[in-house]
Amino acid sequence: MKVIECTDLTKSYLRKRVLDQLTFSIEENKITGLIGRNGAGKTTLLKIIAGYIKQTSGEMSVFSQKPFNSLLVSAHSIFVDDQMSFPSPLQLHEILDAAGSFYPNWNMPLAKRLFDYFSFDPKHYHNRLSKGKTSTFNSIIGLAARAPLTIFDEPTTGMDAAVRKDFYRALLKDYLAYPRTIILSSHHLEEIEDLLEDVLLLKDGKNHLHVSIEELKEWAIGFKGAEEALMNWTKDTKVYYKNQIGRNTVYAVVKNVFSEQELQQAKAENIEITAVCPSDLCIYLTGETKGGIDDVFVDR
Amino acid sequence: MLNTDGTKPIYVQIADWLETEIMNGHFQPDEKVYSQYQLADMYTINPATAAKGLNLLVDENILYKKRGLGMFVTENAKERIIQKRKNQTLKRLIEEVVLEAKRLQMDEMELIDMIKAVQFEGGES
Repeated sequence: MKVIECTDLTKSYLRKRVLDQLTFSIEENKITGLIGRNGAGKTTLLKIIAGYIKQTSGEMSVFSQKPFNSLLVSAHSIFVDDQMSFPSPLQLHEILDAAGSFYPNWNMPLAKRLFDYFSFDPKHYHNRLSKGKTSTFNSIIGLAARAPLTIFDEPTTGMDAAVRKDFYRALLKDYLAYPRTIILSSHHLEEIEDLLEDVLLLKDGKNHLHVSIEELKEWAIGFKGAEEALMNWTKDTKVYYKNQIGRNTVYAVVKNVFSEQELQQAKAENIEITAVCPSDLCIYLTGETKGGIDDVFVDR
Repeated sequence: MLNTDGTKPIYVQIADWLETEIMNGHFQPDEKVYSQYQLADMYTINPATAAKGLNLLVDENILYKKRGLGMFVTENAKERIIQKRKNQTLKRLIEEVVLEAKRLQMDEMELIDMIKAVQFEGGES
């Protein structure tokens, strides 16, 4: 079953098109990573899915409903980010109690255990929490809500490395026990890639690539070797990234369309073959056409 | 625990690890192995990735599926793994070694002597 179906979705803010005829769908009970550069439209998309804002044109369907103004979508989904607002007079333990009355699948024991594990003070106030603590608290709400559609927009902002690791592990363990549809947006694909089943890569508000994480890992291949030797292998195909190393060595990333025998042949020609890790690949795929950072420092 | 530099897909690493467990005798023929959910929990990976690793071993007749019960070790799993590792993994390693020897302009005798020396050392310790 498809939980989210999105067709030709466009969202414009004044003159800027943030989402541009975006089409994709997400299956039930999968963990999908939403990846894209700053300003690619990730948050806008997630907010349309959650029903917070309305698209300019196109169709968005969540649980077969238009999410904007839908009580059904609100009751079955939760949107977690570092801007979540809670009534400021409430103490943290009161917020947990209140959350229980909003979410039908709310699990208080889980919320309490996570709350204690991350050493929160029940009498503390949400707006006095540090950046990392705010993210941690919001993520506890997101996990304990056990909403059939759980959306985390950059959930780990400000968390230290140990808390991030714990959060991802908690997310996976609770997902294994209570499978649900999860969308996770992050700038750190390398941190979340093991958790993901699928990856949706946004570029300029468009669906650039929507594949399983395993496909993404084998999508591209890196060749390293002498420039002339490499030319044979890269001349007929698009080179997504190229880097000159030393005098005559070149590293080039191309789509992996080669057979095992061809790769063996390349190795025999002294070309080093490497896998391209998903986070690097996403950077290459979403790269701007203005060259690399090195070009900024070229003397003119 | 897992090698995350991207050179080997996680599901292949999971399959390799299960193979090693079977080779070491931690799982006997007709014994049940870990489920995709147990593997996901053990390695903090998506259960779909773990399932892909298990299915790889089903395709190679190292595991078999019992509907609703899980995955079990086949009768000849151990022999199959040894055969496969000889024909594929070890062969590939040797190809690498031979290629590097060629780059270093070593002749056959020199290479074989080197292998013998390493094997001898291994036998001593």
